[in-house]
Amino acid sequence: MGKGITGGHAMSLWDGIWGGLAAATSWPACALMLLTIPIGLVIGIIPGMGGNMGLALLIPFTFGMQPIAGFAFLLGMHAVVHTGGSIPAILFDTPGTGPNAATCIEGFPMAQKGEAGRALGAALTSSMLGGVLGAIFMAMIIPVLRPLVLAFGPPEFFMMAIMGLAFISLMAGESLLKGLMAGGMGLIISFVGMDPQTGVVRFSYGMLGLMDGINIVTVVVGLFALAEVIDMGVKGGAIAHTESADVKGTGVMQGIKDCFTYWWLLLRCSIIGNIIGIIPGLGGDAAAFICYGHAVQTTKQRDQFGKGCVEGVIATDSAHNSKEGGALIPTLAFGVPGSSGMAILLGAFMILGVSPGREMFTKHLDLVFSMVWVLVFANIIAVMLCLPFAGKMAKITFIRTSVMIPFILVCGILGSYLTTSKIGDILITVIFGGVGYAMKKFDYARGPLILGIVLGRIAENALHVSLNLYGLMFLFRPITLILLIITLATVLFPVYKDRVKKRTARGGIG
Amino acid sequence: MKAQKLIGLALAVLMIGAFAATVQAAPTQEDLDFYKGKLVTYIVATKPGGGYDAYGRLVGRYLQKYLPGSTVIIKNVPGAGHIIGANEVYLSKPDGLIIGTFNTGLIYSQIVGQEGIKFDLTKYSWIGKASSETRVILAGNKTTYQTIKDVLDSKDEIKVPASGVGSQDFNETSVLAIALPAKFKPIPGYGGNEGEMAILRGECQVIIGSYTGLMGFIKSKECRVLLQFGSEHKIPALANVPHISELSVSPRGKSLINLVNNIDMIGRLTAAPPGVPAGRLEVLRDAYKKAVTDPEILQEGAKLGLEFDPAYGDDVQKMIREAINQPEDNLKLLKEIIKIE
Repeated sequence: MGKGITGGHAMSLWDGIWGGLAAATSWPACALMLLTIPIGLVIGIIPGMGGNMGLALLIPFTFGMQPIAGFAFLLGMHAVVHTGGSIPAILFDTPGTGPNAATCIEGFPMAQKGEAGRALGAALTSSMLGGVLGAIFMAMIIPVLRPLVLAFGPPEFFMMAIMGLAFISLMAGESLLKGLMAGGMGLIISFVGMDPQTGVVRFSYGMLGLMDGINIVTVVVGLFALAEVIDMGVKGGAIAHTESADVKGTGVMQGIKDCFTYWWLLLRCSIIGNIIGIIPGLGGDAAAFICYGHAVQTTKQRDQFGKGCVEGVIATDSAHNSKEGGALIPTLAFGVPGSSGMAILLGAFMILGVSPGREMFTKHLDLVFSMVWVLVFANIIAVMLCLPFAGKMAKITFIRTSVMIPFILVCGILGSYLTTSKIGDILITVIFGGVGYAMKKFDYARGPLILGIVLGRIAENALHVSLNLYGLMFLFRPITLILLIITLATVLFPVYKDRVKKRTARGGIG
Repeated sequence: MKAQKLIGLALAVLMIGAFAATVQAAPTQEDLDFYKGKLVTYIVATKPGGGYDAYGRLVGRYLQKYLPGSTVIIKNVPGAGHIIGANEVYLSKPDGLIIGTFNTGLIYSQIVGQEGIKFDLTKYSWIGKASSETRVILAGNKTTYQTIKDVLDSKDEIKVPASGVGSQDFNETSVLAIALPAKFKPIPGYGGNEGEMAILRGECQVIIGSYTGLMGFIKSKECRVLLQFGSEHKIPALANVPHISELSVSPRGKSLINLVNNIDMIGRLTAAPPGVPAGRLEVLRDAYKKAVTDPEILQEGAKLGLEFDPAYGDDVQKMIREAINQPEDNLKLLKEIIKIE
């Protein structure tokens, strides 16, 4: 199966790598890339503007460009959008793009602890390393690309979504029951809108705006940013609850160091993100959240999660950039785009005269690698551009809240509106602002709710398709079964451990 | 009595329409000036990517060129087989600043009275259509289907991915299953380009969809194109692929195929909500006509594989009305085969 893609010669792979490097650094490709990287960062930083919008804006400029110059121009921008998107997520609890929603969960609490610099350092560095590692991993799996991509179908999507949902039990914080309630609420919210299986509209109460379902950014801005605004209004002070920005171990350098301390987590999340990017069907939002869940699952300091844990930031931010490299694979290999951004890129590739297919990985391997190199360079350059300013940006969190509240409000509402272009969604954001404040006040973890929204719809749809295709037998496909076992272990192991702990405690008393 | 009333009403509408058509002059300067500095939202009823989006973005850019001083933005409003987008266009303020493009297959949905539909296709302010949509039946390389005959002779159920119940691919698959006949079973739940992945994995065997939307997949040589339909004639890129008119089918089948083809003829349409002021509608129609006949758009379209076979305003209105008013027996059959739970 796979041999048609590599052409079978290691030599051609090396030729491709060096040919790609030469192409990516050739004139004018490198200059065009340098031009669009800042554009990508800015698009990422502005909440509500995503890579898709950036691509749609830039594509007309590519007419008449040579293919390599065109890729460098578009990919340079597209590769770094999420890097920029983490900055408002950490500073204002407002995600710049959908996948950055996961960054809010730990990033902003870090800022509140006075560790905004550390969070930014960790986010930027893990974005960069994730992007680079994702590109390397993508190059490495080219020989086994086909069987890997095709191993995941609707039954596997369903189990992956269920596995992700099982993380709710880990993200619940102090009360499992409250976490499950929040997760269940997320699931119900994910069912709002038109059901593709029946054509029936659910939970819309006749409101046209709700037929589309509820967008994740709309909810996150309310649940996090607005809720924090209310909280700040009540409490006063600054975002950061500590006095000074210069406490040792809270700065940008510490964040960079953290990425190397947790290098193993960073590597795993880069690979998970990359694989989710390679498989069309799960989507970019899912990648960051599944990696976050994975971090909670594997950490040694679970009680720190939700309170500003740097591991959470590293996990989410290494995932969202590595995913972009992965999404190139099905686009180039099969002409099947792995994300909506990639669908736009595929259109652009065809404008530039490049046809997707197996030949991309035989005759045009240098083209593929020129894209890999662009991803690598763009990720590095973008972070080099941002890091020097990270310390200054972190100071924002020490400004009085009376100055910051209007700014965060505008930033959040604008982001909510720009994401869906629906006035009604501002109302939804405001409602979730109230919900978020109540959840914060009464100690309900907000992560599970978001996870429920992101994964609920994927799980439901994949379940229907799987049942339609295979009946109940879908549960017994090998990968599905393995995922099922992992899921059960995730859910049952903490319960078991809890039992044991209680029993020994009781034994101690008795 | 009721029928007579309806016919009378229809005649009246037609006459007013014909009258309006003769009276309509070139758009006035006042109406043209209205668009200066305005934002025109072009609703595309799909996710980014795919044929509708490609046409929307291309036509949108040229519309902007011919609406001086305006900015045309694309807004993707996906979901429920284009119904959400079409509803949004229909219920928008008819100020001439919101237009949209959606699936002509909604004609099926309206005929069978699908839930969730808040529009009446005959009442939109029609601006034009960009192409006759060439549709293809293709089979994955993993299947044994080499020709369309293999598909028709198949004793096994043939799974066909569809985006949702009531979507054009779902309905067309159901109708063709009876018309050809073939053992197609539509599987709803494949959004965007996920249907192509289903073919690659082998869980579905055949895709029925638009040529432009599937072009990347076809170019990657992961499938065999077995049949083309929709447009009246073969397109150059598929010169070796048989056309549906070459198949021998029953009279009933022929009548259903005609329905399918009629609907696909009105491809890549653009409409505004009902009740757009006549002058502004004329500006939009005029700009649209100039946009889709611009030599540069044809050049760009050729590169993207987007064909142009435009029709405008009242002509499109007439075509839609003809497609909706199906003979009684076709209507009955359609309602039977397009089951909405």
